[in-house]
Amino acid sequence: MNFNFSKYLFIAIILQLAFAELLTFNGFQPNIMLLFIILSSIPMESTSRATVIGFVIGLFSDLVLFNGFYLGLSSLIFSVCAYFASQVSFNFAYRNFDLYWLSLVLLGTGLYSFFRYDFFFFNDIVLFLKNWFFVFVYTSFIGFIITRIFKVKQSVLEDA
Amino acid sequence: MAKTDLFFKKNLDSSVLFICILVSFSLIFSNSNEKIQSFRSNSLDTFSFLYKPFDWLDDQLFLIRKLEVLSQENLKLNLENQILESNKIENERLRALLKFRKRNELNLIGADILSKGVNSNMSSVLLDRGLVDEIENNSAVLSSRGVVGKVIFVSKNHSGVQLISDVNFRLSVKIVPSETEGIMRWIDNDICEIAEVQTTSDVQIGDVVLTSNLSIYFPPNLPVGEVISVFKKSSSSNKTVRMKLFADLSTLNQLFIVGKDL
Repeated sequence: MNFNFSKYLFIAIILQLAFAELLTFNGFQPNIMLLFIILSSIPMESTSRATVIGFVIGLFSDLVLFNGFYLGLSSLIFSVCAYFASQVSFNFAYRNFDLYWLSLVLLGTGLYSFFRYDFFFFNDIVLFLKNWFFVFVYTSFIGFIITRIFKVKQSVLEDA
Repeated sequence: MAKTDLFFKKNLDSSVLFICILVSFSLIFSNSNEKIQSFRSNSLDTFSFLYKPFDWLDDQLFLIRKLEVLSQENLKLNLENQILESNKIENERLRALLKFRKRNELNLIGADILSKGVNSNMSSVLLDRGLVDEIENNSAVLSSRGVVGKVIFVSKNHSGVQLISDVNFRLSVKIVPSETEGIMRWIDNDICEIAEVQTTSDVQIGDVVLTSNLSIYFPPNLPVGEVISVFKKSSSSNKTVRMKLFADLSTLNQLFIVGKDL
């Protein structure tokens, strides 16, 4: 199996901690764990397995990586994103790889923003969209760099 | 039973997703449960070593910048202190003349930020002080410039702080010199909004915002920010005041937790 899950999980945790401590931009930081869950779920054949892995890693993020104060939020978002990521067909992923993971990042960051900025969602939609947009753009930007450096597309599609 | 089995086998993926969502929601809705909070605190205590290397690296990389900021603040505070010292003597003499009760000194416990939270937008931080340092839930947290948040959970050696920049954070404040009271909430960057301000109140740009006497958890008169605009929303019968926080939330390093009274 080319896509060495544990190795990349370890790298994702290190990157997430590094971004959290050193590379926050105006309070925003990319969600590397979300990226990891999406990219690692695409080649998985078993959707239920991907969903459970997403749930467990989400719980780990909430408990160990000090993910704010909603315990269970990351497990919810990661399991939903992992479910959709693992449902993709090989041909679709081959042709639209970037578009696919970007859409799931948009979904994941959107769900995060909805829970975090629920007050803005119901009272000031512009502020809500602004916050969602910044998190999405920063995560996608880092996602593009990571997918190019680690040649994630090749690894993922070889495994699929 | 066989029918249920067959249904689950046919819809295994959807069933697993449904169960995961159900468990996640039950966790979200039981966040305030004591058992869950203590489990969470224990996990954080156990795995806090993960943050140490990054915390150290952060200190090394930004040490010179931090020193510059601290030196500037020190100089500014020294100058302010000289003026305040003379005011203090005068104030104490007048309070004694009027037989006012003596004010309690704040018991400030210094703490380092261990983690800024692994989430897309910083709205909570983890401090290296906990129950062993007599930190309590809901204690006020300050930076050298003003209020930044409150403690939301405490473990043996650590405590989590909900920052002002969390959209669910509310703070009862007053605007001086008019002593107008209102409820503050975060809007964007270091800008906050004070709602429920009476239309008749005389609030001016540049007025100082302090914690009010009505707050249960925050001691009164802690500095919060400065008024930058005053306007009236068409949807509300009250005035709305926009203010800029004194504390810079993007460069938080050392914080102070208001402990038990001395």
